[in-house]
Amino acid sequence: MKQFLKLFWPLLILMTTCLAQDWIKTGTGLGVEKVRLAVPDFTASTPDPKNADLLKVFNETLWNDLDNAGIFDMVSKSFYPLGQVGNPADVKFESWSAAPPSAAMLAFGNLGTSGNAMTVQGWLYDVKNVTSPQVLGKQYQDAATSDAARVTAHKFADEIIFRLGGGIAGIAESKIYFVSSRSGHKEIWAMDYDGANQHAVTHLNSISLSPRVSPDGSRIAFSSLAKGGWEILMYSLDLSRLVSFPRFGGTNLSPAWSSDGTKLAFSSSRSGDPEIYIVDSSGANLKRITAFKGPDVSPAWNRKTNAQIAWVSGRTGLPQVYTMESDGTNVQRLTDQGYAVSPAWSPNGQFLVVSWMRKYGPGAPGAQDIYIMDIASKQWVQLTHDGGRNDFPYWSPDGRHIIFQSSRAGSLQIWTMLADGTNQKQLTFAGANTQPNWSWK
Amino acid sequence: MAANAEIFFEHDRWGRNLAWSLVLHAAVTGAILLYAVVIPSSRGGGWGAGGGGDAMGVTLVSNVPLPAPQTQTQNVLANDSKGITQSLPKPEPTQEKLPDAIPIPDKIAKTKPAPKTTATQQKTKPEPVQEADNVIPYGQGGPVSGPYGTFNENGAKGGFGFTGGGGDFGSRYAWYVKVVQQKVSENWLKYEVDPRITTAQRVYVTFDVMRDGHPANVQIEQSSGVPSLDQSATRAIQRIDTFGPLPSDYAANKVSVEFWFDYKR
Repeated sequence: MKQFLKLFWPLLILMTTCLAQDWIKTGTGLGVEKVRLAVPDFTASTPDPKNADLLKVFNETLWNDLDNAGIFDMVSKSFYPLGQVGNPADVKFESWSAAPPSAAMLAFGNLGTSGNAMTVQGWLYDVKNVTSPQVLGKQYQDAATSDAARVTAHKFADEIIFRLGGGIAGIAESKIYFVSSRSGHKEIWAMDYDGANQHAVTHLNSISLSPRVSPDGSRIAFSSLAKGGWEILMYSLDLSRLVSFPRFGGTNLSPAWSSDGTKLAFSSSRSGDPEIYIVDSSGANLKRITAFKGPDVSPAWNRKTNAQIAWVSGRTGLPQVYTMESDGTNVQRLTDQGYAVSPAWSPNGQFLVVSWMRKYGPGAPGAQDIYIMDIASKQWVQLTHDGGRNDFPYWSPDGRHIIFQSSRAGSLQIWTMLADGTNQKQLTFAGANTQPNWSWK
Repeated sequence: MAANAEIFFEHDRWGRNLAWSLVLHAAVTGAILLYAVVIPSSRGGGWGAGGGGDAMGVTLVSNVPLPAPQTQTQNVLANDSKGITQSLPKPEPTQEKLPDAIPIPDKIAKTKPAPKTTATQQKTKPEPVQEADNVIPYGQGGPVSGPYGTFNENGAKGGFGFTGGGGDFGSRYAWYVKVVQQKVSENWLKYEVDPRITTAQRVYVTFDVMRDGHPANVQIEQSSGVPSLDQSATRAIQRIDTFGPLPSDYAANKVSVEFWFDYKR
């Protein structure tokens, strides 16, 4: 018998490996929890004195990116075992997976500069899986500047988020466009998603409002007070100047890109009442799609299908949020009372985020808060509570974050939070900053 | 004289003013009463009332593509955890003997002859070593410690494991399995299920995850007997664009997933 087995073992193994069809069996109710991720500081791999500054920037940025991602439970650094982890050989699996850190994942690596070049090596390890722990191994090379260190940290964080977040790209390299009056005029400004690197984009010395960046990130459409009144202007980020876009006459406000970048929706009062119009991104084929008494403003496309538009209508008195097909049919009202403005559609097409004053009028507590609504079930959830007036919410490209403006800090500033209302953070501090818009990737 | 007398004898004509005053007071009182009694029934009704949003509820956050918050341990004290500290019996105070102390003979004790010990008697039994079995995972009830296991949450019981002709996807890429589980759970909209159903049989769905991460060949392997539940389970998979590309060092071009849905309202 033993002889028989000895003979046939290799054959059996061969058969099973040939027939190998990998099966995953899993189900709901298993407790979906955040991944416990440990990120020890990256170490210096060369003795260059520049390393210390770059490492500080890199480590801070990487930690913040992963912490802000919303899908990780970051293991506090005080729980980490002693000793530096800069290379795979330094990883002691037991000490990371066992009690004090109890980490499921470990991101570690090293950074070294030689001359003006910086090399970063980073790994992501599944520390509970000793036999094949590596999930990710990356090497980056860039100039030895703190800006480059920040960008590299963003890139590495995005890789980790992409792997462990289910194929949704990270947002660490995304940009935020907003209106700032800190130069004395309301101009369009830009910053990184974490509030770093704030700089002015336009210098029109007029009043510019509601910036909306195109899906490919090459142009910004916004409304600005021109000679003939409020017009939609188009700014090219590639050329760093205004490019031509037709003037429609009347008051033209709140442009919104469709997610394929071919169309713009905006509100125009060229026929008297403010109504929703759709136009090609070139400015051709202007088409009016609403015809209701009362103002119709703030259109927002369904980012997944581009087949629906949510907008704000004042036909019943106070502004309310409605949806319709993009040809103007099938109008449905979503908000039942109060004062609801600024709808924005989530990237997966499932939710709207709006700014809503549920009780409006004399004697009512006039808190303006951010709500998200499920379009299909008409359920809603309040995300902000008791904190000034919150308005102009907008989704991040990963659908996990919402950016908005709030007056809770005394002046109008831009805040960000996770899409369940937690982790609220202030991004801008100088001047008054309003109407944030998140880039598409 | 006459002028003086006129001051005392001339009557003030304030009857008219009094009448006006009475009318005005009555009007103000009436207005207050009207405001307090009549109007609130029509105008103040909105206070605290739900206000017509009858089709709306608040159960949504689980559908946001974010992990749900960790379930809190119900009671820190009254559970069967042994805690993280081990309590040892207090060491008995040993009577210190000074080196030059002379024992006080209080009683002349009969010295017993020491029992004779044989070689066999001297063998002492090895004391069972008390293992420190009070180690509990951090956070208690937190993530599963191994890549796989069974556990409970919110009354629903589940388990996950891997079978199939020798494929080791599950043990090599446990993180990917977790991603699949998380994404499907996030995209399952329980409100699509017939609201009259309170509990149902487990429904098994199979599908393939292709190389680029998109799901394909979604099939009901075993129906729950509730069509709307079966449909919501299939839709949960179909709603997903991608799970993220399969691990780059994984050789095959797809992996098959069997996913079960336990429905309980």
